[in-house]
Amino acid sequence: MNLQNNCESDENSINATNNFNDLINATTTKNSPHPSIKEESIPKDEEFIQNTEINELEPVSNEDVSVVTPFLVKHISDQNLIPRDNFHKYCYRHNPEITCNKSTDEYKMKIIQQKLEQLPNRDQEAISHVWSIFSAAPVHHRQLILQGILTQCCFPQLSYISQEVSQLIKIDFITTLPQELSLKILCYLDCKSLCNAAQVSRKWKSLADDDRVWHHMCEQHIDRKCPNCGWGLPLMHMKRAREMITEDEKDTDSQPPPKKIKTEVPKKEIKKRPWKSVYSERYQIEKRWRNGSYEIKTFIGHSDGVTCLKFNRKYLMTGSYDTTIKIWKIDTGECIRTLTGHTKGVRSLVFDQQKLITGGLDSTIKVWNYHTGHCIATYRGHDDAVVSVDFSNKSIVSGSADHTVRVWHVDSRTCYTLRGHTDWVNCVKIFNNLIFSASDDTTIRMWDLSNNQCLKIFGGIETNGHIGQVQSVIPFTYKEELIEDNSDEEDMTEKLVLPTVTTNGYPTHLLTSSLDNTIKLWDVSTGKCIRTQFGHIEGVWSIAADTFRIISGAHDNLIKVWDLQNGKCLHTFGNYSSVSCVELSDSRFVAGLESGDVKMYCFE
Amino acid sequence: MMSPKVIIVSSDSEKFPVEQKIAEKSILIKNMINDLNPDGLTEDFEIPTPNVRANVLSKVLEWCEHHKNTVFQDDEDEDAKKSVPVEEWDRNFLKVDQEMLYEIILAANYLNIKPLLDSGCKMVAEMIKSKSPEELRKTFNIVNDFSPEEEAAIRKENEWAEDR
Repeated sequence: MNLQNNCESDENSINATNNFNDLINATTTKNSPHPSIKEESIPKDEEFIQNTEINELEPVSNEDVSVVTPFLVKHISDQNLIPRDNFHKYCYRHNPEITCNKSTDEYKMKIIQQKLEQLPNRDQEAISHVWSIFSAAPVHHRQLILQGILTQCCFPQLSYISQEVSQLIKIDFITTLPQELSLKILCYLDCKSLCNAAQVSRKWKSLADDDRVWHHMCEQHIDRKCPNCGWGLPLMHMKRAREMITEDEKDTDSQPPPKKIKTEVPKKEIKKRPWKSVYSERYQIEKRWRNGSYEIKTFIGHSDGVTCLKFNRKYLMTGSYDTTIKIWKIDTGECIRTLTGHTKGVRSLVFDQQKLITGGLDSTIKVWNYHTGHCIATYRGHDDAVVSVDFSNKSIVSGSADHTVRVWHVDSRTCYTLRGHTDWVNCVKIFNNLIFSASDDTTIRMWDLSNNQCLKIFGGIETNGHIGQVQSVIPFTYKEELIEDNSDEEDMTEKLVLPTVTTNGYPTHLLTSSLDNTIKLWDVSTGKCIRTQFGHIEGVWSIAADTFRIISGAHDNLIKVWDLQNGKCLHTFGNYSSVSCVELSDSRFVAGLESGDVKMYCFE
Repeated sequence: MMSPKVIIVSSDSEKFPVEQKIAEKSILIKNMINDLNPDGLTEDFEIPTPNVRANVLSKVLEWCEHHKNTVFQDDEDEDAKKSVPVEEWDRNFLKVDQEMLYEIILAANYLNIKPLLDSGCKMVAEMIKSKSPEELRKTFNIVNDFSPEEEAAIRKENEWAEDR
């Protein structure tokens, strides 16, 4: 007869308890002349009778049996009386669908079996009776039996129980919880833990590699510094491509139910990358940024110092004192075009998909079609060298050695002169409807592009401004907390008012570099310098920055990589010549040297 | 006059009379009360929870009692929540065996008690964090069902995340 395990279930978990029942049966069978005692089916009445008879035949004390057997008879039949539709769950251990935790049980069974067999027959039988009673007992009885046993236990036995129990109660949460909860748990993990989880078992792998989990990871880290782990991953163009794909999907998904009817235009087969691979690719680049492992590409061709450069995924453009602009194909490293037209050195350039705009020491601004190499316009008006240019839509802004900033509205063919700086204007940047200009007069000015008014001046001792010529300015907006220098006189309350009020369209911060050897971070709303980064031992000619990093190139021949968020210097790269300009992308930075060489540091 | 109680009945028919405020930490129960008593509770109200055993239910209600005056941020900002570690009291409260933790998570999910569910899931996540695959199998008693070849391939596939 197969004893039924009266786990919380009314549906008896035959699979789960078979081992134990076999064990019990093995002992009873040995003592019993009737092998028929092994019965798989749920006992019917006659079998019970038979069972009782068997026990009576045995040379065991009848009182024992008279207690054991009726108990078994009653409760096993009781279990049959519980209606099938009464829904109860299996416990984790006896759920026939859960197989993974049984192997240890099997091993234990073997040991128990061996130990049992060493005992005299009568003892074996007695013990097996205890087990069979427990096995057949309903929940409340079981609890009672356990309570009784526990109260009798000596401390060493209790200690044994507590040890065993802690080993036994192990639940494979990830496999057995409803899937949405497992994914929720996995979303709390870091990438290393997730990758370890993926190696545990098939089921774990499928969940730990799930696209939803890694999409969450990407959201958490891409283009922002994760507040949990301090890691941020570059945005990179693939991410945008992938986002566009998912947005398309969302659109089709959100359509009302008749989506099953496949009348839609067959979606073009877009190669979908799993988010895990998107994450892993960026993670490995970030790791190389952090470890400082890179490869260098050198672009050699200019015959005099390089003064300015910009690059995208395909092209690198460099301007030089040798009066030319060179366009390089990045992957092959070849110079595909040299633009000539400026009569003196080229000091500044910006480009987009169609055009290139340059400013030169010959006081002109030139607009080029760089695909053909033709100069399509030349703007004259500055009285001295054009040191910096920027553009946005149909407006060009230029900064000049004549101390002025000029705004050129291409469509209306009008030009405004912004006066205020008292020395060279080294750098101009357009941000929304604002112009930022950095000057040799040690200040940075913020102008309104629409009415040409100067809105603010950043500089001076009282705001902890630069004490040398300001060479570059980068306006940007940063949403999370940036680490600031501790100022002694300011009390803590001042520090806690952090989320600064941002006027619409204003950047939250500025980064500036100066020949006073420092890089400064400014709070635009207060106009104060909130952080100064020291490290260069000569003037900082140029800086570039993204969401994570600042790159700086200086007269001390050094290029430094800084953490934007906390202002710490991460790496320093030496060179054989003064560094006059730097630019940065997700996985690379480029430095233009006074020697005429251009070096690209690749971290992918 | 005593305000009417909510009587929550466990799957094993044990009755737990609690204040309405405590019971309503469960959004499921809160909605049931509101739906069935649009004018408010006038007398004791019995709610069966056929999925929750008495010892789990008493544990869950202990949590509700402790947090009866806690205001949980109802924000949908998953990020903000993710970065918050499990609160000290919850952490101690959830220092239970895996079976109990498992059932508390299921109960919190069924009863819709989000802050408890979050804490429970975070506790499991902490059990998983920074463990090797073998340690994970040991912790949760999981059988490695990969072939040695598969295992090697999967290890290689996940190598990129090793030591930062």
